Amino acid sequence: MKPLTDLDHYEVLEISRGSSPEGVARGYQLSMATYSDDSMAGYSVFEPGDAAAMRERIETAYRVLADSDSRRAYDAALAAVRREEPELAAPPHPDPATVLAEIEPVEAFDEDSDEFDGPRLRRSRLSRGLEIDDVAGVTKVNPTYLRFLEEERFPDLPARVYVRGFLMAYASAVGLEPRAVAVSYLERFDGALQGGKGAGRRR
Amino acid sequence: MSANRGESARMQSGGRPQMIPVGGGKGGVGKTFVVANLAVALARLGHRVVAVDADLEGANLHTCIGVAQPRVSLADYVAHREDDLGKLLLDSRIPNLQIIAATRSNLATPQPAHGRRVQLIKELRRLPVDIVLLDLGAGTHSAVMDYFMVSDDGLLVIAPEPTSVENAYGFLRSAFYRRLRLAMASHDVRELVTFAMDECNERGIRTPLDLLREVEAIDPAQGSRFVETMRTFRPRLLINDVRTADDVKLGFSVKSICRRYFGIEADYLGYVSHDDRVRRSVRSRRPLVDLAPRSDAALYLGRVARKLGDFLPDTEADE
Repeated sequence: MKPLTDLDHYEVLEISRGSSPEGVARGYQLSMATYSDDSMAGYSVFEPGDAAAMRERIETAYRVLADSDSRRAYDAALAAVRREEPELAAPPHPDPATVLAEIEPVEAFDEDSDEFDGPRLRRSRLSRGLEIDDVAGVTKVNPTYLRFLEEERFPDLPARVYVRGFLMAYASAVGLEPRAVAVSYLERFDGALQGGKGAGRRR
Repeated sequence: MSANRGESARMQSGGRPQMIPVGGGKGGVGKTFVVANLAVALARLGHRVVAVDADLEGANLHTCIGVAQPRVSLADYVAHREDDLGKLLLDSRIPNLQIIAATRSNLATPQPAHGRRVQLIKELRRLPVDIVLLDLGAGTHSAVMDYFMVSDDGLLVIAPEPTSVENAYGFLRSAFYRRLRLAMASHDVRELVTFAMDECNERGIRTPLDLLREVEAIDPAQGSRFVETMRTFRPRLLINDVRTADDVKLGFSVKSICRRYFGIEADYLGYVSHDDRVRRSVRSRRPLVDLAPRSDAALYLGRVARKLGDFLPDTEADE
């Protein structure tokens, strides 16, 4: 356990030194959520002013690490400190923060199948930390239709050609293979609509 | 159903069962629902599982798993009517899964005395199965905490509500300080830990780090033991009833705060999404993983079960 004031930029974002740019972004996203003003996790713990001060440090850390040039310079500076004061380099215990390394097993939902249904779309979205509105913002698809896609409310969705477009957009927004998603989902869509009255309303 | 007790491929030779206590601090966060479904999912994965209802004051694990009207229960053990835990095991409809219910307890003295509790835990460790899941009651009473301490990496169920998170912290800190107190050899140091458990203590000990400094001042040798005890405590977090992406992030935030503010290294084991069928599953007294195995929540539960199964000693051997 290290005093908060001693954390370096990587520790502030709770990522490993070798983190990829996506990892840095994800660390930033998660850290900002932890110290947000309406943080459910923090409200009973933080003293007044804690969260705002920490957010400032998170912003600084992200600014430095998100840019490859400034990150390189920072890494060099860290390495220099490490040589001079070796005991500082290795925090006594426990291991330095590596939240991101541990995200992966949570995220790696073992879904190798090429079958994509509404719930699976939703799971992919959640595991990437995206709300419906985030996806709507990127895809420019009405959030109501995105929700209908997830809930498989087939009869409430517009014509097939639009649904296909929504699916492709949704899939790429949450990091899935658009074509595979569209093919598989439309199979369910077609089947349900042929099957007649609201077969898709499973809930 | 003698097949239930047949030789399991996963039986660790002469091994003891993996103990998985499931707590949460707050009531109503879904502990029993989680235990019931993890028990079924783990049994389906081929592990021999016993699910124990340790909530003698609010027993309903048997209902969630679908064992009606248990004829024997933990209450018989508490009241010394039965000393053989093996006789309390009830078969469920699921192969490989047995339960110990907690119904019909003595309303006047539902909880076993400390000595009996210690004995119970000892007996549970001797059950000839792979996994023992313990469904704990709410609160941080010592009757609850003793069960949570049966392993280093108990499971904590948290609902995405401020009240649940707050109680979860209280629960973890209570467990943490109890461990420290137990691990300390010197009387003075133990006293100090007890003192520090009062959040309003006058010496201003607020964090384990503060406490560690004080411990080292009294007895440097105990300091390293203290650090080791801190390090080996690895509770696992499960966020239940997740509706939004923010709820998913809550697990990471709680983990981060546990580390930074309480010195506790927790693991974020996973989350279970909200599902309307959960209520239906409880009402029909069938575990969700059974009733709607393809439902979202069941898939998440299955994933958590697989992760728990992976922690078993025999699969962990190669690290």
